[in-house]
Amino acid sequence: MKYLKIILLSFFIFSCEGRDSYDPTINFETISNLHAPVEGGQGLNSSGPFTKFDFETSSETNSETNWDIAFRGTSVIINGGSSLNNDSEPERNGNAGAYIFNGTLAALEIVDENLFTQDSEQGYAIQTGSGNGWYNYTGSPDHLILPIPGRILVFRTRNNGYAKVEVLSYYFDAPDNPDAFDDESRYYTFNYVYQSEPGNTSFN
Amino acid sequence: MIIFVKIEELFNKSPRFLSILLSISISFAVTANNSSDSLQNNLDEVIISATKSKRILSSLPLNASIIKKEEIQRTNATKLSDVINEQTGLLTVSDYGGGEGIQMQGLDSEYSLILIDNQPLIGRQAGTFDLDRISVGNIKQIEIVRGASSSLYGNEALAGVINILTEEPKKGFTGSLSNSIETNNSIDNNLTLNYANTKLKSSLFFNNFSSDGYDLSDDDDLRTVNKFKNNTIQLKLGYLLNEQFRIKLNSRYFTQTIENIGSNLLTGETYNEEANINLGIEHNSEKIRSDFEIYSTAYFADEFLNDQNDNIFSQSFYDHILIKPEAKSIFSLKDKDNIVVGLGLKYETLKRTYFDSQPKQNSPFIYFQYDFNIDKKTNLIFGWRYDSFKEYNSQLSPKISGIYKIDDNKSIKISAGYGFKAPDFRQLYFNFTNSTVGYSVIGYNVFESVINQLNDEGLISNLLIPVEDFYEPLKPESSFSLNIGYDFKINNKISLKTNVFNNTAKDLIDTRVVANKTNGQNVFSYYNLDKVMTGGVEIEGLFKYDNYLSFSFGYQLLYALDLEAIKAFNNGDVYARLTTTSPTFQLNRSDYFGLFNRSRHMGMFKISYFNEKYDLDTLLRIRFRSKYGLYDTNGNNYLDKYDEFVKGYFTTNLSLNKTINKLIISTGIENLFNYTDSQNITNLSGRLLYLKLILKLNNKS
Repeated sequence: MKYLKIILLSFFIFSCEGRDSYDPTINFETISNLHAPVEGGQGLNSSGPFTKFDFETSSETNSETNWDIAFRGTSVIINGGSSLNNDSEPERNGNAGAYIFNGTLAALEIVDENLFTQDSEQGYAIQTGSGNGWYNYTGSPDHLILPIPGRILVFRTRNNGYAKVEVLSYYFDAPDNPDAFDDESRYYTFNYVYQSEPGNTSFN
Repeated sequence: MIIFVKIEELFNKSPRFLSILLSISISFAVTANNSSDSLQNNLDEVIISATKSKRILSSLPLNASIIKKEEIQRTNATKLSDVINEQTGLLTVSDYGGGEGIQMQGLDSEYSLILIDNQPLIGRQAGTFDLDRISVGNIKQIEIVRGASSSLYGNEALAGVINILTEEPKKGFTGSLSNSIETNNSIDNNLTLNYANTKLKSSLFFNNFSSDGYDLSDDDDLRTVNKFKNNTIQLKLGYLLNEQFRIKLNSRYFTQTIENIGSNLLTGETYNEEANINLGIEHNSEKIRSDFEIYSTAYFADEFLNDQNDNIFSQSFYDHILIKPEAKSIFSLKDKDNIVVGLGLKYETLKRTYFDSQPKQNSPFIYFQYDFNIDKKTNLIFGWRYDSFKEYNSQLSPKISGIYKIDDNKSIKISAGYGFKAPDFRQLYFNFTNSTVGYSVIGYNVFESVINQLNDEGLISNLLIPVEDFYEPLKPESSFSLNIGYDFKINNKISLKTNVFNNTAKDLIDTRVVANKTNGQNVFSYYNLDKVMTGGVEIEGLFKYDNYLSFSFGYQLLYALDLEAIKAFNNGDVYARLTTTSPTFQLNRSDYFGLFNRSRHMGMFKISYFNEKYDLDTLLRIRFRSKYGLYDTNGNNYLDKYDEFVKGYFTTNLSLNKTINKLIISTGIENLFNYTDSQNITNLSGRLLYLKLILKLNNKS
């Protein structure tokens, strides 16, 4: 795992090297095994708290206010907009937004402010369901949740920074050939790039 | 019904029943009967299903083939899927429900029409028709027409037609009795009794087949193939009233019980029952042959799983009925030209779990076919059929085909036609909610009422597709198919058959998300989306070394492509990663492999040897299937070259048949080299050994 991370990091640094200016407000991170449990299965009674994440500190947080995105099972919500199902979603106090970009992480250079939507009573900004958001569900007989390569989740954070996120795995320790029956699910591994300077839509 | 039950009871005691019969039948007179001719040139073979009239296969402009009884017998096949899997370009694919569905020219089982004695079979719960419902014990010949044939058969004949013709009795008393025992405790018993004179033709057939199934992986509580048993009874009667009129009755009854294992805690049973009755009257005059038939068929399936305390965990039922009266006339014109005209009505109804109502459908149809010879070398067939539907667009299916005989040894064939598959009842009337995960699937025609009901219950958060989009009826799936063939007889020993095919299918019905539910799950419904192209080449060759030794081969090259996928690859919308955490990269068109479960190459090689001295017949068959993908394994939803593939493989079957007077003793090995893949190939068991005895009951008069 570590080895892979080093390769990844070096790949990224390598790819940044050629650029004219290196922006100190841009951070590249890989988050491993962010646990996003869900209670009561995926069905009618899915409940339980969301796992909140803060790009500023690049870590999971329990703060009621200082969070940007949150995970529960395969659902991803943002700190902006209104609640779909207000029972166990954290209160939204920010103006976060989200959209999906199709391409590699590096290919997204400038954020398009016009594309952002927010969570609402009609649905989450990152749509749920196989093929709609960040994953495909393979169905019978493998029942795997596989991140769709090339789906980049683009976020406006609560304090007007920007983040682009590439989900790599939904299984513990991001195995190369996950087995839905053996590997523990609801453990997110993802790469992201964070532009902390408010209003700066560039990732270069 | 009572009769059936009694016969079934008899079946259950069948080993004794058969041994009694065996001892009776041995007392019949004994004469030698050699059928050593194998892999014969099929010059004079007559095919019915290609034109709904008798035609000589070799002069037919269509891509058709025949599997004769002798060929089936020599392979000692007990299951129809075994027979199909040894044909060029054909294979059977296992459904999750356990059925074996045919894949023809790269198109799925739901697009091939299956007929028995010229009448359609029903019972496709999720589209797949399980071929192993049909016993091979009394098959006279199997006719295979590749390419769209809706111009004669209407619905379902999009990829082609398979017609299974059962035996017609010869004069006098004939019959046969056979017993076969195979690995996995598979026991197959057949009894055929025929009697015919100048007026009467009668035939009675019994089969019972049982097997313990098999388990390829020990690491779970499930079995790869569950234990099952099935019974078939078939009665055929024909009577010549006078020189012009003949009446006939064909009936068939099938039952099957399959053990059901859901987990170590859940067990149950699947019960299938099928009954067919066809009543017909034929009229023959010098110029006109007419018949009128009323065909009725019913397919019932009941399934349950119980928990440890015998409480019902799940159960479902499926009751499908089809009634089809049809009248047809063949007008003979000069020079063997003829016109076929037919009309009829299909009445269908289905009662099943997850349907709120019992849908019924009446669809009248009419067809016309003109078969004419321009000169001695050129034959053309032109035809069309019109199927009238209320629930969706009525269909006009034309077809034209022609053959040109360059000389006695070479001919060129071309045929182009339209095929369709109407939306099935499930796609129109389903109302299903998964109780554990919480998603819903709604049929197209009940969408508005069901979605309103879910909305009233407060279960819908967001409607993505407006209800008005469902006012326009769901279109039948349709295809344009083209076959161009070239047959070439090099000399008396070597002959080649080649064919290039292309099927372009559009409006294929798929599911999509139409609404979000308040539980975070989705509502799915059906819509017309996919465009698919399958194309390729079929080559068959035969080399007869002498009357005793011959070699044959068959090969199919196949490209099966989703045209929308090609667009996505061309647009650069598809990406992949080599490992879970390695960098993402863009895929291009050349990385796209094609549809799931399609092999680019499939081949068959057969060696046939007959030893006259020992009256021993040997047949070796080697089958090859190149790599194929079953699922998307890298998340992009498409099968690309970075996905995991099922490895290509060979299977080898050997059969030996020795004839001693009226007795044929057969033995052999299926899957000689014991190739298995427990993860991916569930319909390939390990090595199988068998012993089979066939006794011919011919009362020579």
